[in-house]
Amino acid sequence: MSAAGTANLTEPQQKRGAETSEAEAIELAKLGDAEAFRTLYDKHKRRVYSLCLRMTANTAEAEDLAQEAFLQLYRKIATFRGESAFSTWLHRLAVNVVLMHLRKKSLPVVSLEETTQTTEDDSPKKDFGTEDMSLAGSIDRLQLQRAVNDLPPGYRTIFVLHDVEGYEHNEIAKLVGCSVGNSKSQLHKARIKLRDLLKMNRTEKVVKSRAG
Amino acid sequence: MTCVELQQSLAEVERGRSREQIAHLKTCAACADLVADLDLIIAAAGELQEADEPSPRVWNSIEIALRQEGLIRPQASGRGVHPPSFSLRWGWSRWLVPAAAMLLIAVGIHQRREAAALRPTEPVATVTPVSNPAGLNDADFIEEVAANSPAMRGEYEENLRRVNDYIRDAQGVVNENPNDVEAHRALMDAYQQKSMLFEMAMEHLQP
Repeated sequence: MSAAGTANLTEPQQKRGAETSEAEAIELAKLGDAEAFRTLYDKHKRRVYSLCLRMTANTAEAEDLAQEAFLQLYRKIATFRGESAFSTWLHRLAVNVVLMHLRKKSLPVVSLEETTQTTEDDSPKKDFGTEDMSLAGSIDRLQLQRAVNDLPPGYRTIFVLHDVEGYEHNEIAKLVGCSVGNSKSQLHKARIKLRDLLKMNRTEKVVKSRAG
Repeated sequence: MTCVELQQSLAEVERGRSREQIAHLKTCAACADLVADLDLIIAAAGELQEADEPSPRVWNSIEIALRQEGLIRPQASGRGVHPPSFSLRWGWSRWLVPAAAMLLIAVGIHQRREAAALRPTEPVATVTPVSNPAGLNDADFIEEVAANSPAMRGEYEENLRRVNDYIRDAQGVVNENPNDVEAHRALMDAYQQKSMLFEMAMEHLQP
């Protein structure tokens, strides 16, 4: 349906239209239709690729993993019965592809720390004599992307799965093979680390602008 | 509630704020700053979900693999590949079919020579690949794509560059190791990929 054709439809009607188009594309893909494969790819490529990129922090690896995720999906598409949303199926597959890749590289999928205990050393510090570099107000998306790339792999996995992709801790625990408590602890530490990285970035910019 | 207890509770409580947390945050500026920053990070994280676009190479590789595995099947009439006897309406693509065919013939010749060369006493012949099928070069191919579908020019230029790099590298290995069967197979694979690129162009650019 063309864009002009959807102009007079309500939002639920437009959504149903899009879902029907995806359902049609899935059925055509099962019959080997090239355009149908392309339609499904175009609809989901950004989400799948962004997930792979956030979790690996490497463009070439992310492209290879996105490719692998789609290929695995297409090989199995004949078995898709529509019990769950197609996007959920694809997304879960992509997560598994990335996690398997990280395990093969012997990267820690999740940090080995099990503790949820925080100590005095973890409490917010007051830096006397320095300018307040709170993040209050805004976070630049590119800076956040860079900071996520700089996270240790274990922290990055949990942060991406929970805060970016919306998985719950019990789902994350099953996916990565850790406890719910560990998942919560890692997430909190990932967020604290991101805050430190973003503040450091801002401090460096201010110093550079003053020196220049 | 101390600052340590607040931080511990932040890890445990996923949504909302407890009364104890709210009371502590009213009295502790440092913790209040921390919580505000963490909330900003969480809000910004959602924007990363579809932040990036993969390069065209990803789809091209997927399509090639799907064709090789037979998951993309020949289309029914109305959407299929038309036979070489083109009308004037499809005259521009009249050279694409022989170009793809010439590449496949070159691959076939190479395969036969390689099979003959597997006899231990005979060295594997190095076949000079057909780089200018039907007297046409890559520039002509890109010009045709650009004339008929300008939006796809960049994508095909990049794909052609990559597959030519692949062919060049594979040819280099064959030149250095003329008796290496795997090197010859890699060169065949590279030419097959170039042939598939022409085939894809045929399908994509048909009206």
